[in-house]
Amino acid sequence: MSFDRDARAALADGQLRGALRHATTLFGERRRAAIAEVPDWEGARDRARAIKDETLLHLDRYLEQFAANAERAGAQVHWARDAAQACDIIAGIAARRGARTVVKSKSMASEEIHLNAALAARGIAPVETDLGEYIVQLAGEEPSHIVVPAIHKTKGQIAALFAEKLGMEPSDDVAKLAAAARQALRRRFAEADLGVSGVNFAVAETGTILILENEGNARLTTSLPRTHVALMGIEKVIPRFADLEVFLRLLPRSGTGQALTAYQSLLTGTKRHPADEGPEELHIVLLDNGRSRMLASPVTRQTLACIRCGACLNACPVYRQIGGHAYGSVYPGPIGAVLTPQLLGMGESAELPYASSLCGACRDVCPVKIDIPAVLLHLRAQAVARGGSTGTRALLERLAFASYAAVMARPRLFGWLMACARRLHIVPPLGAWTKWRDLRPLAPRSFRDEWRAGLRHEGGR
Amino acid sequence: MRSEDARREILSAIRENLKPRGIAPGSAVGSTGSADPGPATEGPQGPRKSFRAARGSKERGDVVSSFTERLAAVGAQCTVVRGEAEAAGALAGILSGAGARRVVGSDAPLVQRLLRPLRDRFEMAALDRLSRDDLFACDVGVTTAQWGIAETGTLVLESARERSRLLSLVPPIHVALLSTRCICESLGDGLAHVRQADSHAITFITGPSRTSDIELTLVVGVHGPQTVHVLLLEDL
Repeated sequence: MSFDRDARAALADGQLRGALRHATTLFGERRRAAIAEVPDWEGARDRARAIKDETLLHLDRYLEQFAANAERAGAQVHWARDAAQACDIIAGIAARRGARTVVKSKSMASEEIHLNAALAARGIAPVETDLGEYIVQLAGEEPSHIVVPAIHKTKGQIAALFAEKLGMEPSDDVAKLAAAARQALRRRFAEADLGVSGVNFAVAETGTILILENEGNARLTTSLPRTHVALMGIEKVIPRFADLEVFLRLLPRSGTGQALTAYQSLLTGTKRHPADEGPEELHIVLLDNGRSRMLASPVTRQTLACIRCGACLNACPVYRQIGGHAYGSVYPGPIGAVLTPQLLGMGESAELPYASSLCGACRDVCPVKIDIPAVLLHLRAQAVARGGSTGTRALLERLAFASYAAVMARPRLFGWLMACARRLHIVPPLGAWTKWRDLRPLAPRSFRDEWRAGLRHEGGR
Repeated sequence: MRSEDARREILSAIRENLKPRGIAPGSAVGSTGSADPGPATEGPQGPRKSFRAARGSKERGDVVSSFTERLAAVGAQCTVVRGEAEAAGALAGILSGAGARRVVGSDAPLVQRLLRPLRDRFEMAALDRLSRDDLFACDVGVTTAQWGIAETGTLVLESARERSRLLSLVPPIHVALLSTRCICESLGDGLAHVRQADSHAITFITGPSRTSDIELTLVVGVHGPQTVHVLLLEDL
């Protein structure tokens, strides 16, 4: 991947930038209105973070407790060390159940492990059923936003796509487009043998998984097929059923600005009687894929508190300009810039921690108060230590920063050097930094001189 | 078994990474040591709101009216009735107003009682012999809701009480019967009231199915019902 190249391409795409500005501004406004309704928003954020911290510090025990309770309720729990293992487990379940068609509701984790490609390679057809994901899949593209995956496409482009793929009369009417997708997907739901969903929260004390959504496709995915597979990162577990309250208060408001999304499905094991509605089998796949590594330091550990609301994307001045595709990974925006290098390793994505101005807007809106800039700096330090700069360049960098530190600590030396620079009209060689920015010329007199002169003037009056 | 290996590997990787190193960042975390906070029953540090049943805190009337206000805000319809006779009349009105032809009711006794007199006017699908295609062909699903949540205008459906999971989802119109006695004030109250252990599926429903996935334009009824109509039965 090349963040630099892809970001440039995104910046040149006027339509994309317009759509991004509209979406991120709207979600930002809705979020502000929605959190104003909550009497103690700050308290809720602190409480949620405390719950996440507590869980992560004892993650082994809460995971075991969750798995035991889910199994007691009839679910089958699988553990996957990495993406390949998770894909094998799910493809194995599909094969054992004789599944030809798999319906999927939106799951970031399934995109993280590239499940669709793995299923397709085994002759199983995965069908995305979230409207945005469905559009993106029909177009053969990748999602560009966590909450609205097809934000980069206009309704005209979608109409052309549906005309081609679904044989629909071209129409600019968004309701008609949605109705065409509903009809096409109803057929897929009817024939699907297996449903794959993500998980928003997993409750240790009860073995319950909770899935939030607005469209109803996750409810169809988890209730119509004979088999339901739920894929979750190991960080999704929370201790108690009652803990859901605070997270349900935070997540929809931060994501879409709703007090609550249209649907929450709280699923505990399988149906109790044959006459009950719902799948015969529930499989829960617990995915590590680099997450346990992040527990090692308190700085990186907080990445695992993320509840995937997308608020940091909408708030980020970099994301607002370039959108999700430029990040070259499933998780875009500020959280993606810290999550992706930790999941995939620095080699693949060493540029991402630099895709930020460190303004802190992400930290301010994060419902679980993840200090994303701190994690970014931590990862930048790692990238440097791993040899982002080597040999002469590293030596020069160290020399430059040592000299800078020495000068800044000595006001008289600093004054003298600046006086020299002023006299000689020297502009410091800042290379890449000045490529896109103009460095203002030095003022004829320094602020200190002006200040002193001003004081003398005042004193003389 | 490979999953068993993976389970061991993941758990030991978690324990290894959580081991305090240098100046211990976290508390002393053992595997299942007895010194650290016991299994998940205590609340985390910090204040927690206590769960209050709606009764006794806010006036009942206030809770009901804030529930109906929220229902309107999330785009659900609501009709308030007194007693079953009035409910039956209102239900007939809702069904004919929606131009319903095929109706399917849940196995809740109240739903059965209210639909029985309407058999001549609407085609009633039988829940026990309902194939997937039959269900997809229904215009209206009629269920009860076990709880309402005033804070958010939410209906709560428990699988242990009724076969309502698909009826409240697949047909384009969902009519839900709810007693005003079962309206809780807050989300926390709702979570405290549900019979979690008995139900393999608990569904929270807040308004109709919705999407803004195309140019952020709101469309209702994308996968689930376009219309959610709450028939609110007042205490007699």
